[in-house]
Amino acid sequence: MSNFFSSFLLIGTGLALTLKLLFGCFIIGLSLGTLLAILKFCKICVHVIDLFVSFLRGTPLLLQLSLIYFSVPGIFGVQLSVLSAGIIAFGINSSAYIAEILRAGIESIPNGQFEAAISLGIPKNRMWRDIIMPQVVKNILPALINEIVDLLKETALIATIGGMDIMRYSQIVGAAQFNYFAPLCIAAIYYYVLVSLITWISRLIERRTSYVKA
Amino acid sequence: MLKLKEVSKVFGEVVVLDHVSLSVAKSGILGLAGASGSGKSTLLRCVQGFEKPDSGEIECNGRVCFIFQDFQLFPHMNVLQNLVYAPDLKADGSARQKNEEKALALLKSLGLGDKANSFPALLSGGQKQRAALARSLMIDPDIILCDEPTSGLDVMSIADVISLLREVRSRGVTMVIASHDLGFLTEISEKVILLKNGRIVVEIDPKQHDDPSKLLTQYY
Repeated sequence: MSNFFSSFLLIGTGLALTLKLLFGCFIIGLSLGTLLAILKFCKICVHVIDLFVSFLRGTPLLLQLSLIYFSVPGIFGVQLSVLSAGIIAFGINSSAYIAEILRAGIESIPNGQFEAAISLGIPKNRMWRDIIMPQVVKNILPALINEIVDLLKETALIATIGGMDIMRYSQIVGAAQFNYFAPLCIAAIYYYVLVSLITWISRLIERRTSYVKA
Repeated sequence: MLKLKEVSKVFGEVVVLDHVSLSVAKSGILGLAGASGSGKSTLLRCVQGFEKPDSGEIECNGRVCFIFQDFQLFPHMNVLQNLVYAPDLKADGSARQKNEEKALALLKSLGLGDKANSFPALLSGGQKQRAALARSLMIDPDIILCDEPTSGLDVMSIADVISLLREVRSRGVTMVIASHDLGFLTEISEKVILLKNGRIVVEIDPKQHDDPSKLLTQYY
């Protein structure tokens, strides 16, 4: 039992890298995704962005991660750390999905909401900030939470380039004990609890942003 | 005061407005009748500037506000916030206080006094209609364009809308109302124009006829 407990703690040290990766790539994904979504409304940029997005969605994430970690030093002469390579690769990949989510969210707002704002003489910047975006954010929240959950699970790929995350620690503990079952189950518990936590927080937010308040 | 001169609008190959000319005097009510697709809504949308006419001129003095068939209240704001948001953009402390007082008085006069803190999703169709009207009155418009103000309302609510629009006119607001409901239109308007395929077919003064609705149906 004490063996299990010490494995549990040791694998838990991988939590730091997993969470750093998750926050880092979500922030990159959200900012780059927002930029892409806005640029998609510009007619000249749309083809370039479509190509970029289809590449990101059409190739394995493991390949994209390897491309950044193993080939950037050869091309640019800079050796990226495992963490920064992971944040860049996962962040850029997730930006493609977030851009699509945002675009669909903006298109889901009825034209009449824009027209009502114009008719009331509301300036464009305020219309986007106070009328359109609050509704978009509410509509896309479930899809966005889904993306965060996917992102969390995808961070486990960092183990393939030597990142010491939950996954990698569980493999190391398994190798040392000649028994993979318990360590991998422990890693599964960590991921599952994290996902449940994210889902719980999203429910709280959804309830708070519900329109139907008496 | 609103004047249209030879206004035309084409969508693809469909002529939606065909050299339409009309005028409405200050604090007058003009009714637009016609079947679906006759160009009523497009005419209103051109006056508001949502659509650009392909030819012709629109002359309108003063502020125009549009009331949508589906109201388009902002769903994430309560009724009071819906009313004060636009006027508050140009106001500070004490003026905002005044806006709020004005909005509450307006809501009270429209029978929505207890709905100030409700979200639009909780209002009935008639209540949403009144809230939308109140919201447009908050920006002191000179012209109000109403697209199908009675659609989906019951008989009692329609009677309310009629007395409400009369009350709005008495504040000096000019109105153009597009509707399928001939009984309602002939009751409220000084002048009713019947559109067919984007053209004005007939123009009547409902007060001059015994049964204006029946007269209009003959031209449909």
